[in-house]
Amino acid sequence: MTYHKPNLSRRAFLATSGALSVAVLGGGLVSVFRDAAEAQDLGRSEINAWVSIARNGRVAIRYTSGEMGQGVSTSLPLVLAEELDADWSMVDALQVDQGPPATFGNPLINNILYTAGSLSIAGYFDRMRRAGATARRVLVHSAAASWRVPVGEVTTEPGFVVHGRSRRRMSFGEVVALPQLVTDVPAITDADLKPREQWRLIGSDVGRLDVPEKARGAITYSIDVRLPGMVYAAQLLAPVEGETPTVTTDTDARAVPGVVDIIPLRNAVAVVAETWEAALAARELLKVEWSNTSPFRSTDSAAELKELAAAAADPAREAFPWETRGDARAALRSSARVISADYSTEYVYHAQMEPLAAVAAVDADGKGAEVWLGTQSQTVSIGIAAAVLQTTPDRIRFHAMQMGGGFGRRTFFARDLLRDALLISKQLKRPVKLMWTREDDVKNGWFRPATAHRLEAALDSNGDVTAWRHRVVSASILAFAMPDNWAKANNRDFLVMEGAESADYAIPNLIAEHVIADRRTRVAAWRGIGWGPNMFARECFIDELAAAANADPVAFRRRLLRNNERGLRVLDAVVAISKFGTAPQGRAHGLSFAGYKETRAAGVAEVSVDGEGRVRVHRFWAAVDPGVAVHPNNLLAQVEGGIIFGLSGLLQERITIAGGEVQQSNFYDYEPLRIGDIPQIEVQIVESGAAPTGAGEIGVPMTGAAVANAIFALTGRRQRQMPFGQVRS
Amino acid sequence: MPTLTVNGNAVDTNADPQTPLLWVLREHLGLTGTKFGCGVGSCGACTIHLDGEATFACQVPLEAAVGHKITTIEGLSPNGDHPLQRAWIAEQTPQCGYCQSGQIMRAAALLAANPKPSREDIIDGMAPNLCRCGTYPRIARAIERAAQEG
Ligand code: FES
Ligand code: FES
Repeated sequence: MTYHKPNLSRRAFLATSGALSVAVLGGGLVSVFRDAAEAQDLGRSEINAWVSIARNGRVAIRYTSGEMGQGVSTSLPLVLAEELDADWSMVDALQVDQGPPATFGNPLINNILYTAGSLSIAGYFDRMRRAGATARRVLVHSAAASWRVPVGEVTTEPGFVVHGRSRRRMSFGEVVALPQLVTDVPAITDADLKPREQWRLIGSDVGRLDVPEKARGAITYSIDVRLPGMVYAAQLLAPVEGETPTVTTDTDARAVPGVVDIIPLRNAVAVVAETWEAALAARELLKVEWSNTSPFRSTDSAAELKELAAAAADPAREAFPWETRGDARAALRSSARVISADYSTEYVYHAQMEPLAAVAAVDADGKGAEVWLGTQSQTVSIGIAAAVLQTTPDRIRFHAMQMGGGFGRRTFFARDLLRDALLISKQLKRPVKLMWTREDDVKNGWFRPATAHRLEAALDSNGDVTAWRHRVVSASILAFAMPDNWAKANNRDFLVMEGAESADYAIPNLIAEHVIADRRTRVAAWRGIGWGPNMFARECFIDELAAAANADPVAFRRRLLRNNERGLRVLDAVVAISKFGTAPQGRAHGLSFAGYKETRAAGVAEVSVDGEGRVRVHRFWAAVDPGVAVHPNNLLAQVEGGIIFGLSGLLQERITIAGGEVQQSNFYDYEPLRIGDIPQIEVQIVESGAAPTGAGEIGVPMTGAAVANAIFALTGRRQRQMPFGQVRS
Repeated sequence: MPTLTVNGNAVDTNADPQTPLLWVLREHLGLTGTKFGCGVGSCGACTIHLDGEATFACQVPLEAAVGHKITTIEGLSPNGDHPLQRAWIAEQTPQCGYCQSGQIMRAAALLAANPKPSREDIIDGMAPNLCRCGTYPRIARAIERAAQEG
C-alpha cells in the first residue's frame, strides 16, 4: 500500500537540467510526500488500513477515490472521522495511490480502485463508517486497559478518550503513545454505528481540505510534475484513429537544439527534447506519412446522425432489451392513441481544463517504473503499466495525482498515453513527461457518442400513460472502454442505457431497448453518463404527452410519480421554489424530472429567445434528494457545476467529424460556457434520509429537457435535437 | 541570458527568447501554479500580471516580458492571504482547482483597477477565463466578498 498527502508544501528542488539559475523561487519539483517517511517522524500508529494517528494527535485518514473536483478528498474522510469521533481540525487526508482491491476497491465498481459514476460516497459510505468505528474501538479498548477500567465506562469526545467516573481523559495522540494498543477488538455491528441524530460531522459544512491549497495554486497535478533529468515528449498523433506512421522524415526536427530523439509509436510519432518548447518546435518540422487503411477514415458525423435516426425509426433493426415491464409491444399495438417523437444528441467532448499528461520513470532494468498520473482508476492504470513493461503490478510505484477535471475523460486514457510515456522512458532511460496540447486532446478525444431516440407511448382516455417504448440508438461505450466486461454483458450497456428504465414512473407496460450502432470514433462516458441523453429525450417527450393529454406538465408528472414519494417531493419542491409557470414577460419556464441513479432531482429553467433565435437561460432551479447530504455545501457546488456543464452541452457544444478527422481544435471552436452565459442558479436539497448517493453527475440530466420545454412554452417550437442554443424551427 | 523579474526576484533563464512565458514559468522556473489550458489565449488558465495587468502568459514571448514586472499566483501575496484568496476559501470556490490560479489573478487585476466592481463589471472582467467545473457563481460571489471585506 502506498499513500500520499496531496496538500503538503513543496520541497524546493533544483532540477538538474541546468535551466534553473536560482533556487529562491522555490517551487518546482514534485510535491509527493511519502506517508511512510512521515510516519516515522511523528511516531504514527497504523490503527487499521484507513486510519493512522500520530503522537501529536494528527489523524491521517485515507481515501481511495481520485480527487477531480468533486470533493471526495474531504467527504470520504469526513464520514470516517464521524465514527472515529475525531477532532476535524486534526484530520489530514491521504490519497491511496495503490493497494489491495480487497481493502480499497469500490464495492460498486467491481471492487477495484476506480472513480466514476458518482459512486464514491455510495460505494464507500458504509466502509468508511465501519473503519472509523473500529478505529475508535481500538482507542477505547486501549485506554480502558491502561486505566484498568471496564471498557463500557469509557467513551469519546472529539479527539479524546474519556473515563467519566474518574474524570480521566487522554487525547488520541496520548493513546497511541501507550506502551500497548489493543487492536484485537470485537467487530462493529450496525448497532455500534452512531444514529443519525448524533452526527456532528456528516451533514456539516466543514471547509474542503483541498480548497486553501487551490486558492494558492499549490496543488501539483500530473502536468506539473518535474523530475531530475526529465525529458519532455510531444506527439504528432495520427489524424485518424487506427492509422500508424509509415514514413517519418525527421532531419529538420532532429536539428532543433535540445531534441533528444524522435520515436515512432503505434499511433503517433513522439518528439523528445530537453525542453517542452523544443519538443513543440521540432514537432512542427516533422513530416510523417500515415497509413490510410483505417475503417475510421469513412467516419462522417453528419451522415452518422442520419443513420442513427433511421435505425431509431426502423422496427426491423435488432434491439437489445434493457428493461421490460408488462407487454409494451402488445399494449402499443392495441392502443387507440399512440404518440411518438424522435430526439437526438451529437458528440460532445469533456473539455477538462487540464490537458492529459503522463509522467513516467522506468527503472534501469526496464521491468518497473514510477508513474505520476491523474487517473480515474489506479487499478486500471497500474494494470496497463504492468502490461506495457511485461512486469507485475508490484513493480509499478504509482502516484494518483489530483486531476484538473475528469468528467469521464480520465478513465481508460492510460491505454495510450501512459503506454507511450513508459515506452519512451524505457527506450531513453530517462524520466519523461508526455503532454498533450489542447489540440491533441480535442482531436483525440473520447466523446460521448451521438445518440438517436424514438419514444412511443399509449395514452388512454383518462390521459394516463399505459404503454411506453424508449428505443436508443448509439454505439456501445462499454464495448470500447471495457471490452472484457462487454464480453460478459449480454449486450447490456449501462453506460448508454441507464436511466431509460424510467423506474420512477408508474407505467405498467414498458420497454427500453438499445440498437447498438457501429462505433465510428472513440467514445466514453461524459458527465451524467447515459442519463444526459436519455433524460433529455424522456422529459421532452413527457411534456409532449402532457400537451396531448391536455394536462399541465406538473400534474402529468405527479400522476406518473404517484407511487414514488421521493420523486414527488423533489418535483413539488422545484415547482415551489421556481414558482413554476410564472415567468416574467418574454420568458418561459420548462420543467424536467430527471435524477441520476438513486439520487432524485428535478429542475426548472427560465429562458428567453432573442430575435436571432439565440437561447438565453436566465435562471435555473433544482431540487435534489441525495438520500443524505454528507457535505451539503459541496453537494450544492456539484449540482451548480453539473447544471452549468449540462447547459453548456445543450446550448453550444458539438464535435463534428469528417473523413475520420475531428474538425474542432481548441476552445475557440469548442467553447464551454463562460461566466456571462450562466443563469442565476438556486438549488434546494430535499433529504429523504435514504442511503447517501452521489452528486457529481446529478446536475446534468435535468438540464436538457428543462430548457427545451421552456423554449416550447415560449415559442411553440419543439427542440428535439441537441444542441439547440440556436432555436430550430 | 535574459533576466526576468518574477515575484520581485531577478531571475536568469537560458530559454530561447521566443519561448512563451508560460513554459518559462512552469517548466524552467518551476512556478507551476500558472496553468496551461489552451495555449492560444482562449481559456485564461495561464493568467499572470505583467506590470499589474492581467495577461495570458501563453501569448507573451519571453523576450517581450524582459524588463517588466511579472507576478504569478505564487507571488500574489506573501502568505497566500490576499483578500481574494481569503474570499475564495470563504466561498469554497474551487472544485478541481485547475483554472483557479488564473481566475484569482484576473480578479486581482480587476479589483486593483476597480475596487468596487458591480456584478456586470465582474462578469465583463472575468469573461476571458473558463472554468469547466462550473464554479462561476462562486467566483462572482468571492470577488464581491473580497471587494467588500478588502
Ligand atoms: S493557456 Fe493561455 S489562455 Fe489558455
Ligand atoms: S475549478 Fe475545475 S476548471 Fe475551474
